[in-house]
Amino acid sequence: MHGNAPIDGSAPLLELDGVSVDFDGFLALDDLSLCLASGELRAVIGPNGAGKTTFLDVITGKLLPSSGDVRFKGRSLLGQQEHHIARLGVGRKFQSPRVFENLSLRQNLTLAASVKTPLALLFGSLGRSERDRVEHLLGVIDLADRPHLLAGELSHGQKQWLEIAMLVAQDPDLLLVDEPVAGLTDGETERTADLLRELAGDHTVLVIDHDMEFIRRLDAPVTVLHEGHVLCEGTMDQVQCDPAVTEVYLGRADETP
Amino acid sequence: MDSHKPEGIRLLGRVLPWLLIVVLAIAAPYALPSFRLNLLGRFLSLGVVALGVDLIWGFTGLLSLGQGIFFALGGYGAAMHLQLTCATCSRSAGGIPEFFGLYGVKQLPFFWWPFHSPWFTLVAIWFIPGLVAGLLGYLVFRNRIRGVYFSILTQAALLVFYNFFNGQQKLINGTNGLKTDVTRLFGQMVGSDIMQRNFFWLTVLCVVVAWWICRNLVRGRFGDALVAIRDDEARLRFTGFNPTALKTIVFAVAGALAGVGGALYTVQSGIVSPQFMSVPFSIEMVIWVAVGGRATLLGAIFGALGINYAKSLVSEALPYLWLFIQGGLFIVVVTALPDGLVGWWKKGGVPRLLARFRGAPRLATYPALELEGPDKPRITLKGDQQ
Repeated sequence: MHGNAPIDGSAPLLELDGVSVDFDGFLALDDLSLCLASGELRAVIGPNGAGKTTFLDVITGKLLPSSGDVRFKGRSLLGQQEHHIARLGVGRKFQSPRVFENLSLRQNLTLAASVKTPLALLFGSLGRSERDRVEHLLGVIDLADRPHLLAGELSHGQKQWLEIAMLVAQDPDLLLVDEPVAGLTDGETERTADLLRELAGDHTVLVIDHDMEFIRRLDAPVTVLHEGHVLCEGTMDQVQCDPAVTEVYLGRADETP
Repeated sequence: MDSHKPEGIRLLGRVLPWLLIVVLAIAAPYALPSFRLNLLGRFLSLGVVALGVDLIWGFTGLLSLGQGIFFALGGYGAAMHLQLTCATCSRSAGGIPEFFGLYGVKQLPFFWWPFHSPWFTLVAIWFIPGLVAGLLGYLVFRNRIRGVYFSILTQAALLVFYNFFNGQQKLINGTNGLKTDVTRLFGQMVGSDIMQRNFFWLTVLCVVVAWWICRNLVRGRFGDALVAIRDDEARLRFTGFNPTALKTIVFAVAGALAGVGGALYTVQSGIVSPQFMSVPFSIEMVIWVAVGGRATLLGAIFGALGINYAKSLVSEALPYLWLFIQGGLFIVVVTALPDGLVGWWKKGGVPRLLARFRGAPRLATYPALELEGPDKPRITLKGDQQ
């Protein structure tokens, strides 16, 4: 066992160590181990049912694994409540965009940026840097001129972007991004990839998707999940040439024109 | 809109409603017969309760069918104090309230003791309901019980309290409740016209203060977080908020408001009884807010006032008709006015209704283009407009 690794540049930010999730005999995750270094951008792909979303559920505390350990900055996340994990610096974007539809864009971003305790919400005021971050992010998603628009009135693509912006406003160390380009146009997909690439470095970013062009554009190491465990890791080209991957994933895609 | 008006008119717009409230409040006791004044005071105290219901249901999405518990707790607190002051000044039954004699009780139950103190009572009528609500809320919210299960649970709790209070003759006079109108406060009969007038003014003050507290709770980021709980609680969790804490706080505040409303209602109706915890009454509280307008504070107050006034007027004339009207109102709100009357007004319902009679302006192209003009950039993602 590694014990609690010291927090320095070399230590991984996120470590999954032999994690299994058992849904009444069905292993959604099967002895999954994975490491993410600080500042890394990583893409995770895999066919439907490979356990991609379950994998995020385990990290963010929605699911308790039946065995194995999840460590973030050297600390185990097991048994912690979702909001504690979020406050430690893990942000998550959901598969279908989830924003607060009855709040304005600015309110959505401000909530994500603020200190999360009830007393701070009532009596504290938003710091200078948080306010600047919110205004900056409104600009990034190109909605700076309509901060009072209700989030529910946005288009699907804009909601995807607002949710990513909320994630950034939260200023987490680790961003878990689940299918950010589902339902986006090609142009939007490209810009999303560029945005995520920019975020890496300052943040550690893990992206889950199965849009191959998008993953290629991310230009990041790829981890392939299959039936709950890591099938292989490597660059996009390496992964695509791997016969095992071709068989379980890309091969299947080739068969259907 | 507002920003185009000159400074003076805007100032007047802010001061005028307050001025109107003060003038109406001062004038009401002289303009209304004491029976009508008493009704108004009682309905206003229900407005305080409605503000709490709006806070938890309208803003946070927690549909509680058990607010009667906290309403009754506040009422019993006030009534116990009045019964004690009455007993001490009359000295008739050994310094304890008369009804105890009926059941052969010689010793004042221990929990009555602190209610000798007016100061304790003043704190207890909001603190005890708030505390009970907070505890109940914490247990329920911690276990992530939500939606319809929460509603059923609050109604079950209401029935538990109702049956308990009903059965305890030796502690709190059971079904008969506690009378307050023949008790004395400051040397005056509580049911007298002078006292009733003072209670009316106190109620107006309480409504304003309660409104102010609620407004401060809902207007800032705290209020945004409440709306976020209503929209998507799980998402809020993953953003780093603890919905359990937020919901517990807001449920306790609503409980405290119900307690204050209950105390004010009790001293103005002259009695508190377990009927305050009947199931239909707690459901009516929800209807006031639904008709007035969820998530609009004024809607809650006007809803409580309007419905109860209608109820008393209709019941005076045609006693059997009211339940049908109330049911009809609820159906109208659910089907046609989901935002309630004030919500409908705020979202431009009146101009829309007028336009329907005049005939709507015809739009030749896509409405958004007509309204915003073609030059205004449409909302787009970065880079979409070359």
